[in-house]
Amino acid sequence: MNLFVDRYPEEAWIVRAALASSFLALFLGGIMGLIQGLHRTGFLQIVQDSTYYTVLTLHGVSMVLLFTIYFLVGFFQWAVTDSLDRSAEDIRFTKLWYFLMVAGTVMAAAAILGGFTDATNLEADVLYTFYAPLEAHPIFYIGLVTFVIGTWLAGVDWFRSWWAWKKEHPGERTPLRAFMVMTTMLMWYLATIGVAAAILFFILPWSLGLVDSVNSLLTRTLFWFFGHPVVYFWLMPAYMMWYVILPKLAGGRLFSDPLARIVFVLFLLLSVPTGIHHQYVDPGIAEGFKFVAMTNTMFLLLPSLLTAFTVVASMEHGARQRGGTGRLGWLRSLPWNKPAFTGMALAGLMFAAAGFSGMVNAGMNLNYVIHNTLWVPGHFHLTVGTAVALTFMASTYWFLPQITGNGVFSQRLGLVQVLLWFLGMVFMGNAMHRIGLAGEPRRTAEPFYDGVTFDTALGSISELHFQIALGSVILTVSLLLFMAHLFLSWFDVASNPAPDNGVIPEALSGPENAPIVLENLRLWTAIALVLILLTYALPLASIVSANGFFGSAGTLVGTAYEFAVSPFVGVVA
Amino acid sequence: MDSGTESASADAWDGEIETEIGHDEYDPYGTLTLIGIYFVIIALLWVFMYFVEFLGEGPTVM
Ligand code: HEM
Ligand SMILES: [Cu+2]
Repeated sequence: MNLFVDRYPEEAWIVRAALASSFLALFLGGIMGLIQGLHRTGFLQIVQDSTYYTVLTLHGVSMVLLFTIYFLVGFFQWAVTDSLDRSAEDIRFTKLWYFLMVAGTVMAAAAILGGFTDATNLEADVLYTFYAPLEAHPIFYIGLVTFVIGTWLAGVDWFRSWWAWKKEHPGERTPLRAFMVMTTMLMWYLATIGVAAAILFFILPWSLGLVDSVNSLLTRTLFWFFGHPVVYFWLMPAYMMWYVILPKLAGGRLFSDPLARIVFVLFLLLSVPTGIHHQYVDPGIAEGFKFVAMTNTMFLLLPSLLTAFTVVASMEHGARQRGGTGRLGWLRSLPWNKPAFTGMALAGLMFAAAGFSGMVNAGMNLNYVIHNTLWVPGHFHLTVGTAVALTFMASTYWFLPQITGNGVFSQRLGLVQVLLWFLGMVFMGNAMHRIGLAGEPRRTAEPFYDGVTFDTALGSISELHFQIALGSVILTVSLLLFMAHLFLSWFDVASNPAPDNGVIPEALSGPENAPIVLENLRLWTAIALVLILLTYALPLASIVSANGFFGSAGTLVGTAYEFAVSPFVGVVA
Repeated sequence: MDSGTESASADAWDGEIETEIGHDEYDPYGTLTLIGIYFVIIALLWVFMYFVEFLGEGPTVM
C-alpha cells in the first residue's frame, strides 16, 4: 500500500486533526461572512450594528489566521514526512505544537465570542488586524501568542527532520516539497518578529494595564511588518500545491524544479520588506520610506509571474501527454471533470485577476483612490478567499484519501462545489471592486450616510449591493456543500476505496539542474535580514523618536522600559 | 449517488496518458499564448484606469 496513512499513521493523525480544525474555522467564518454580506447591503440584518465588529473580527480571525494556518501546518506535516520519507523525530513534540495551537485558539476564540454577550467582560472587537488604539481583553493576545508559538515549534519539528535527513543523505539535494516548507518557515520566523514585538512589548502590557498608552503608529507598523508576509504564509502552501499536485492531476510533470526553488527563495527575500505598502496613507511615515516599500513590492510580482509561467506550462505538458494539440486547443484536454484539478485551475485564474487589482493597491498614487474602500476586501477575497481557499478545498478532494484511507464521496458533487465557489466569488468580488471605486467604505455595518451618495461608473449601487448579497449566498451554499461532502467522505459513507495515487511524478527539469547555492538557506536568510534592516530600521527609528515607545504620555514602567530598550534602537538606526 | 468506480481515481496519471513527452520534445507555446493574452488584458486595463481616474477629473476618495 502506498497511502500516506498506512505508511505514517501517527503523522496522518496530526494532519487530520489540523485539517479538521481548519475546516471548523472555515465553516464558522463562512457563516459570519454571510451575515456581513447581507447586513451591510441591507438585505437582512439579524445582528445589531454594534455587534457587527464582533462578527467581522470572528470572520477575519477564523478565515485568515485559523482556517489557513491550520490547513497549512497539516499539509506541511504531510509534505515533510512524505518527501523526506521519514517519521517525525519525536511524535510527542509534534503533538505538543498542535495542542499549543489549539490552546491558543481556545483563548482567542473565547475572547472574541465574549463580544456577543454582556455576561462576561471578555471582548475582542479589534478585527484581525488588532493594532492599537483598538483594545481587546488580554486573553485574546495571550491566545494569539500561544498559537504563533505553536507554529514556531512546528517549524522546529520540520527542521529537525530535515537536519536528520541531511545527515543520512550527505551531498543530496533536498526534495522539493521539504525545500518549500523550510523556506516558507524561515520567511514565517522573520515575519512574526514584528507581531511578537507588537504584542509582547506594547499591546499586551497596555491591555493588562501595566502601561497607560501605546504609540499607535508603532504598533500599526509592527503589525504590517507581519501583515504583508503573512499573506505569503497562506499563498506559499497554495503555490506548493500548484507546483507539486496540480501538474500531476493534469497528467503532466512539473516543468522546472529549479525555477520553483528560485521562486520560494525570492519569497523568503522579499516578503517582509514590503509591509509599509499597507500604510501609504499613514501620516508620520515619510514618503521616501513608502517609495522603498513600493519598489520592493513591484519586485515581489516577479516570483508570482514566474509561477504563472511554470504552472501553466506544467498543465500544458499534462494536456499534451493526454493528446491535446494546438495553440489553445490543448485546454480542452485537461481533466475538467475532476474537482481537485478544476478547483485549483479556477483558483489560479482568479489569482490572475487579483494580480491586476493588486497592482492598483501597490501603486502609491492609485492606492489613494481605493484605500479603505470595499475594493480592498474585493481584492483579497480573490487572493486569500479564492486563490488560497479554493485551492485548499479543491486539493482536499485529492488529499483526503491519502490521510484517511477513504475515497472521496462523489467527484461530481465536488465539481459542483468548486464551480459554485468560483461563481459566487465572481459576483461578490467583482461588485466589491466596483463599489469600492465608487467610494463605499469597508468595515462598515451601514455604509449609507445622509447627504452622501456614491457615484458608480457603470451600474447602480443597489445593483452592486444585490450582487454582493447574491455572491455571499452562493458562496455559503458552496461552503455547506463542501462541509457535507467532507463529512460523507471522512466517515466513508459510500465506502469508496482510496485511489493508490500518492506518488508525485518527477519534474521535467530536475533538481540536479538547480545551482547548488540555492540549498544554502543560511545565506538567503541573512540577505533577507539585511533587506529588512534596510527598509525598516529608519522608519521605526523615526516613529519612535517622534513619539516615544509608548506615545507622548509616559508612565514609570514605560519610562523605565524605554530606558532599557532605546540604546538598542540607537545601535540599529 | 455516484458509484465508487467513478470516485476511485482523482488524477490523470492512472491510465490516461497517451504519449509520454520528455524535456526536449516539449515546447510550451500554448503557455506563451495564454500569458501573452494576459499581458494584453493587463495593459488594456491600465489604459482604462487612466480614463477612469485621471481624465474624469472627479474628486477621488479621501
Ligand atoms: C462564504 C464566503 C465569504 C463571504 C460571504 C465573505 C464576505 C465578506 C464581506 C462582505 C466582507 C466585508 C465586510 C466589511 O468590510 O464590512 C468580508 C471581509 C473579510 N473577509 Fe470574507 N467572505 C467569505 C469568505 C472569506 C474567506 C474564504 C476568506 C479568507 C480565507 C475571507 C477573508 C476576509 C477578510 C480577511 C476580511 C476583512 C475583515 C476586516 O476588514 O477586518 N473571507 N468578507
Ligand atoms: Cu501587502
